Amino acid sequence: MNIVVNGEQVNCSDGLTVSELLVEQRVKMPDMVSVELNGQILRRNKFEATTVKEGDKVEFLYFMGGGSGAK
Amino acid sequence: MKPETQGIHGGYKGDSDSGATAVPIYQTVSYAYKTAQELADVFDGKSPGYIYTRIANPTTTALEARLTELEDGIGCIATSSGMAAIASVVMGLVRSGGEIISAAGIFGGTVSLFENTLGRFGVKTSLVDAADTKQFAKAVNDRTKLIFVETIGNPRMDVPDIPAIAEIAHQANIPLIVDNTVTTPFLIKPVEFGADIVIHSTSKFINGHGTAIGGAIIDTGNYNWANGLFEDIKELAQKVGQLAFLAHLRNLIYRDLGGCAAPMNSFLMLQGLETLSGRMAKHCENAEKLAQCLLAHPKVCWVNYPGLPDSNFRSRVVKLFNGRAGGLLTFGIGDKQKAFRFIDSLKLAKNLANLGDAKTLVIHPSSTIFHEFSIAEQNKMGIGEDMVRVSVGLEDFEDIRDDFEQAIEKAFEVEK
Repeated sequence: MNIVVNGEQVNCSDGLTVSELLVEQRVKMPDMVSVELNGQILRRNKFEATTVKEGDKVEFLYFMGGGSGAK
Repeated sequence: MKPETQGIHGGYKGDSDSGATAVPIYQTVSYAYKTAQELADVFDGKSPGYIYTRIANPTTTALEARLTELEDGIGCIATSSGMAAIASVVMGLVRSGGEIISAAGIFGGTVSLFENTLGRFGVKTSLVDAADTKQFAKAVNDRTKLIFVETIGNPRMDVPDIPAIAEIAHQANIPLIVDNTVTTPFLIKPVEFGADIVIHSTSKFINGHGTAIGGAIIDTGNYNWANGLFEDIKELAQKVGQLAFLAHLRNLIYRDLGGCAAPMNSFLMLQGLETLSGRMAKHCENAEKLAQCLLAHPKVCWVNYPGLPDSNFRSRVVKLFNGRAGGLLTFGIGDKQKAFRFIDSLKLAKNLANLGDAKTLVIHPSSTIFHEFSIAEQNKMGIGEDMVRVSVGLEDFEDIRDDFEQAIEKAFEVEK
């Protein structure tokens, strides 16, 4: 299915949880990343129970002292 | 996970290299990268990574993640002290000419920051009676940038109607900042009652042993920064959404002010969080028993503990804190001289400027924490010259009671 990750169209496996998406997308420092799903920050304790759907907009954000966030 | 579990496991899954179950202390200033491009990418935000411990540190990151979970927030920044947390938040929101509305009966250091230090930069503060919600609404004007309250005013022991004050703040499109130091997430999660930013002095109950100074800022996610009053944060929200305020602090205000948490202190706060739930229950139990004892004591003139059945704040304690009123109380035995003699006669409790320790602590607020304020100003803040503040510790209750009873007797001996 297609989703939008950090503003770019991305193809990913169907029915992924957010935890699984972090692995599939090889997100760096997954323990540090904040995930915004369709404009709302997703609490970390919801990563495993939340499934990504076709067309979802996902942002992987870090605020560790660099810039404004990147994958 | 339930809060009791989050306090122990939150923010750390164990060290994959060593298997260490306690969070390692990354006692380092900086972090090396193999190539110039890698470090440049981290500075640009193109790649995640640590740069410098003033900005972020792995031990501190674990503390921030645990506090985020406990407060059900969207992110956290740990600071060098509670005052650094408040200073960062307020300086991140208010510019010269801006105004703050603050509850009056709060920690003297916070009032001094607002009135004296920030006053020098052209910031005006209106101090209002936390118990009288209407005063918050009356004080709002078009220069107001935030409302600040403590969950229980220290040492006035008043409990603001947080949901009603949140409503006032949000009608004016300004954030409500709630200092949750004395209640901790185990008595109240301010996010559930409309708070936008939660503050902690982690030096107190979170640390729990009087061994480290620290603070924390948690964004609850309640305030819509993309549609807020603050143009620079609004602009940032276009890039990072709900994390805009924390990014504004991390990448500018907090970074520039330098009030970072020390890694060793972050470790001690993480240790404290592991036992906080059990300790808070015992602090509350001992404080309630001591309040009842003092209330029944013939030589005690007054006792202020919001958990007492006849307290004006009892209903708010039930609504906001699930009936538990924390470990702090104040009382008076007549005048300043007797208060001093009482403190001098204590054998177990310590006379010092702190609260939330495992040990029972006392202080005479008028001559210490509030010494820079005139008696008239102190009275306005609800501080009397006879007031003794007690942070009730975790000792056996009968030992605490016996210590207080013998010290009260000694306080009156000179007059015999």
